[in-house]
Amino acid sequence: MQILEEIKISDNGFVFNALTGESFSLNPIGLEIIKMIAANSDFDEIRKTILDKYDVDDLSFEKDFYEFSTMLKHYQLTQQNNPLNFV
Amino acid sequence: MIKQKITLAVTGLNNTDNPGPGVPVIRGAKDSEELEVRVIGLVYENLEPGIYMENLCDRIFQIPYPSSGSEGLIERVEQIHQQEKIDVLIPNFDAELFSFMKYEKRLAEKGIRTFLPTLEQFQEREKDKLPEYGEKYGVKVPDSINLGSLHQLNEVASKFDYPIMIKGQFYDAYKCFNIEQAIYAFHKVASKWGLPVIVQEFVSGTEVNVVALGDGSGTTIAAVPMRKQYITEKGKAWGGITLADEKMLELTRVLIQKTKWKGGMELELIKTSSSDYYLIEINPRIPAWVYLAVGSGQNIPEALIKLALGMEVKPMKEYKIGKMFVRYSYDMIVDLERFAAISINKEI
Repeated sequence: MQILEEIKISDNGFVFNALTGESFSLNPIGLEIIKMIAANSDFDEIRKTILDKYDVDDLSFEKDFYEFSTMLKHYQLTQQNNPLNFV
Repeated sequence: MIKQKITLAVTGLNNTDNPGPGVPVIRGAKDSEELEVRVIGLVYENLEPGIYMENLCDRIFQIPYPSSGSEGLIERVEQIHQQEKIDVLIPNFDAELFSFMKYEKRLAEKGIRTFLPTLEQFQEREKDKLPEYGEKYGVKVPDSINLGSLHQLNEVASKFDYPIMIKGQFYDAYKCFNIEQAIYAFHKVASKWGLPVIVQEFVSGTEVNVVALGDGSGTTIAAVPMRKQYITEKGKAWGGITLADEKMLELTRVLIQKTKWKGGMELELIKTSSSDYYLIEINPRIPAWVYLAVGSGQNIPEALIKLALGMEVKPMKEYKIGKMFVRYSYDMIVDLERFAAISINKEI
């Protein structure tokens, strides 16, 4: 999964889609994850970073991550290639 | 740099909840670093807010509505010209454009320059001709029927699914979910704007717009795409943001190139969820949100004035993405004398 180049991510969690004019607010964890996705980290790297840093189990992380990824796709913040490719 | 002094006449000072483009056009002209603009405000009504705004117009004149006859309107402008020596005139209402286009040559002979589309360009983009326009220039447009009478509304049921859009020739559009609403909207639109009333297929998506300027030879001098962020009950943008949408810009450039559009224009588009663009309307003039283009780097009013004066204007390609405009209302306290002057003397 790749974040579109038109997406601008601010350090305060404000995300702006210059293609559609829509904007979104992310919480600190969401911001951390979207930044990792934007930096082309793969799923395993993101999982390791989050599991090392926060008190969360593998299953919960995976569930939340897929939900978050689906949301990014739904709001057209990512390149729409393979719909089954979550990372 | 020495600025060139010019006298600019502008209509559309009605900064109401359905704002005219006059005030932002003047703001853009006054922002120019090359032109020193003296502004003549031309108003139809004595309560147009632009009359009372400080440091906006140097002179104000009331002019007759074009519906009372083009000749009377033009004669009044010529009369004002004798007094004020107008260099450039920017009309900002759809309903008055026909008169100014028709008498463009006569005005030019007197020294009043305009930069308007041709009658052919103006007429072929009219709302009731949109399907033909789409086909001619290869642009997707919503399907539509022109209704000459209420009875024809029955055709709609067999052709479109609800909701549908009921539109007037010049202004007004209503989204209708059933036949009762459609009949009500038909009467409302027909009584105000006459026939035909246009029934348009409703295209679901995001409303996006482009403000652009064509030089009349096919070159796009300026183009800025925008998404309405806040829309009033009348469908007017009360807030908007510039976009980085190359497809919208390409569509604009192609249309201007194919039609050789001359003057300001606004493209109203619907972007569907599958990123298709449907052209729903072309406004043949600068829109009221033009100051967003000025603020994001493309001074369209200034460029239009320069084109009208025969000056060279290079195409503007850059603009700031993510620039926003937020409109507001503001109560001005004005003296009765000003209101009396425009009401009785027809000029200030």
